[in-house]
Amino acid sequence: MKHSVVSLTINGTERQMLVAPGTTLVEVLRENQGLAGTRRGCDQGACGTCTVLVDGKAMMSCLLPVETIEGARVETIEGLTPMQGLHPIQEAFLEGFATQCGFCTSGMIMATAGLLARNPNPSRDDAVRAISGNICRCTGYEAIIDAVLDAAKRMQAAQRSEAA
Amino acid sequence: MLQAIATPGSLAEAHAALSRLPDARLLAGGTALVPVLNYGTDDFTSLVSLRHVGLTGVNVKDGVVTIGAATTLAELEDERALAFLRAALDAIASPTIRNMATVGGNLFVKQPYGDFAACLIALGASAMVSNGTTARVEAIETVVSSGLKQGEIVTHVSFPLPEAGSFKFAKAGRKALNAAAIVTVAAVVETAAGRVTRVSIGLGGVAKSAVRAASVEKALSGNSFDRVSVERAAKEATRDIDPSDDAYASAWYRARVAPVHIRRALIGE
Amino acid sequence: MEKIDTSFFTKEREAELSVVGESVQRADARGHVTGQTQFYEDVTFPNTLHLKMVRSTRHHALIKDINTDAAMNVPGVVRVLTHKDVPNNWYTILKLIGVGPDDEPVLPEDRVLFMGEQICAVLAETPQAALEGARRVVVDYEDLPPIFDVEEAMTSTPFKQHGTNYFVYEGHNCRRIRFGDVDKGFAAADHIIEHRYESAPIEHAPTETTGCTAKPEGNGRVTVYSNTQALYFTLDNMALILGVPFNKLRLVGGTVGGGFGGKVDVIVEPIAALGAMLTNRPVKYAYSRAEEMQVSSPRASERLYIKDGVMNDGRIVARKITLYVDAGAYCRHSTYGTTKAAAHMPGPYSIPNVHVDAYCVYTNRTPSSAMRGFGVTIGDFALESQMDQVARYLNMDPMELRLINAYRDGDMKAHRKKVEGAALVEVIQAAAHQTGTTLAPRFAKMSSFEREA
Repeated sequence: MKHSVVSLTINGTERQMLVAPGTTLVEVLRENQGLAGTRRGCDQGACGTCTVLVDGKAMMSCLLPVETIEGARVETIEGLTPMQGLHPIQEAFLEGFATQCGFCTSGMIMATAGLLARNPNPSRDDAVRAISGNICRCTGYEAIIDAVLDAAKRMQAAQRSEAA
Repeated sequence: MLQAIATPGSLAEAHAALSRLPDARLLAGGTALVPVLNYGTDDFTSLVSLRHVGLTGVNVKDGVVTIGAATTLAELEDERALAFLRAALDAIASPTIRNMATVGGNLFVKQPYGDFAACLIALGASAMVSNGTTARVEAIETVVSSGLKQGEIVTHVSFPLPEAGSFKFAKAGRKALNAAAIVTVAAVVETAAGRVTRVSIGLGGVAKSAVRAASVEKALSGNSFDRVSVERAAKEATRDIDPSDDAYASAWYRARVAPVHIRRALIGE
Repeated sequence: MEKIDTSFFTKEREAELSVVGESVQRADARGHVTGQTQFYEDVTFPNTLHLKMVRSTRHHALIKDINTDAAMNVPGVVRVLTHKDVPNNWYTILKLIGVGPDDEPVLPEDRVLFMGEQICAVLAETPQAALEGARRVVVDYEDLPPIFDVEEAMTSTPFKQHGTNYFVYEGHNCRRIRFGDVDKGFAAADHIIEHRYESAPIEHAPTETTGCTAKPEGNGRVTVYSNTQALYFTLDNMALILGVPFNKLRLVGGTVGGGFGGKVDVIVEPIAALGAMLTNRPVKYAYSRAEEMQVSSPRASERLYIKDGVMNDGRIVARKITLYVDAGAYCRHSTYGTTKAAAHMPGPYSIPNVHVDAYCVYTNRTPSSAMRGFGVTIGDFALESQMDQVARYLNMDPMELRLINAYRDGDMKAHRKKVEGAALVEVIQAAAHQTGTTLAPRFAKMSSFEREA
């Protein structure tokens, strides 16, 4: 078995890593890069806890052998978090009581980031669809859906104040 | 245990990798194959990734749509000419999966997944299959039922754009979103003076692969397009299907409701 | 959100209730939204071995032979653990509070009693090598007939080496409640209404699967990073199984990615710690999603027969309940759950004649255990469905039927305990109010504190 060198831009920094064949992005993030905020829930693409942005799109990092995404731009929950304070999506989840055990939260937030990058003004239906690949077993989803919509409002408000 | 992943940068390189790695599987979006890999398998020891071979993109020319096999389902959702497919695409998995899953890969996932293949059957689509030296054109239902020979790659699928409003779709699952198919129905129905002039129906969830509802098509063709006629034709579906039991529904249930969902897809009630 | 109505509790206690009804930020939310909350799997150690379990592919079989030669030849495989390596090979979760018997081996010796039961553990340098090693272990089985139905199990030949197919409660084959005389009650009743209720097992499906990492500390102690919901159960049971004093073990945990009762059993920690002690390396044992779904203990399936003697005016004068809890192959928490189920009968109603037989039954299914109110939840589903059935039969309002039978403070319950702090009447009145239902004056005036003259 031959290992290979893969380079990825992770949270803005180019990283190189030596990986065994078939090593998935979630393994690299958690075990090679120490970015444990991306959770591993099923290794089957069924639960969404490992959702990250790859080239700006929300994807499940357990389904991506890193050799096949050489050169990709990856953003994780750690990259979303500003040095001071919180990202508007994080604020919305925090203040909207959209977390309980917290295990799905990173994936929910990254799926939301993927949605809002494409669609800054989502309807409730859009929000429901955007997190339809992410399982939460605690909340019953309502608080999370509300938080996604609240996050959109907060981001629009932030953009307006930037523009002004 | 996996020994190698080849990441070719062109179709020719992909064929070269396939001949170098005799037990290799083709890896497209990975949404069906990587789960197998992650749990460990003795079925294969190498993979050939199609992510960078350049088979992406949608081309619409002279009323014919050609889609690169490595195009993701999410990319189709953004394509204006394919707006008629949005409801069908929306019924497949979740946006996160559609950002990865490909048109070509969808032809080879196990039922009760693979709804896009049912759509392609309804659209009368064909697949371009390359073996490295020559290319052949194959009907989608042949590809999904018989598979490919080792060393072959589906490079494109293509179909004629259907008449506006003629594409129909309905899916029954256990959840509103992100559900496997109990029954998936995709159809193209064209009518003139209340009579069916062209009908083509693909079904998912009701056989080992996506299938054409040929008996329903035959029963409906040339007949009036109303509830009574559609209901009568839909009952013929039992000849076309061979459903299985799984965690989502029993074979009995699938057979029982398939005609109902065909009717709902076709006439919306 | 409606504020808590404290008027019902004026006689009960002084209460500030300054937090209930207010929004108070969760202490852990900031860690959750930034991904900084540390779950057990986020703590990693160099030189860790990965453990994968070889699991039974049979519901019920004798193990004739386990061949690990091919597994040991897989590059990266370090060791295979079998029952011979376990110092005290019994897992009996409630042993320290005197609840037995020993019925579940940590790793089975000569037989498997359910599909997915762990047989032996492969330790390897990588998860992939451990998976391949586990695939290479050859288990030779001799199939035995499985039993899947509780009532069939009650009358079948016992399938365990010792004892019966049901738990023995103080000499009885079930947990019993006897109050009044149900036969007399049925004889005097205007109507007899009997139904059967049944549930399937329910899996908790936490987003984080069960797992732990056990790390030897070099001083004879082992630290275990775990997502158990029950750190002290785990510590105690590990000490019993490993035959070491409690102070040789340290548990780090408390952060659980969804538990719901599914992480109360002590399955992964003793084996990971054993591996750590025998290899002097950290050992990680994490369930795959498939394992979580197949073998983590679900909520028990239950079957209840409820027979009511009912008067024309809605009074239930006799209730006979036969209840079966499907414990699966082993006891775990089900013996306790069955007692809870019995204790919950006949529901929050004052019924003068009650007869309950609650059976804790073993079958060749995945052992069931704790899940959110286990023992009570399915019983409540059955009881309240039965109340609706009775109301429908009598063509009576279901709220009024419940009010007629509701227990009040001072009533004697079937378990010979006086009711205190009853609130059923007030809860139904509040429900009626919130759903815009007008109760007849005699029901609107009712109180849990005293019976009307």
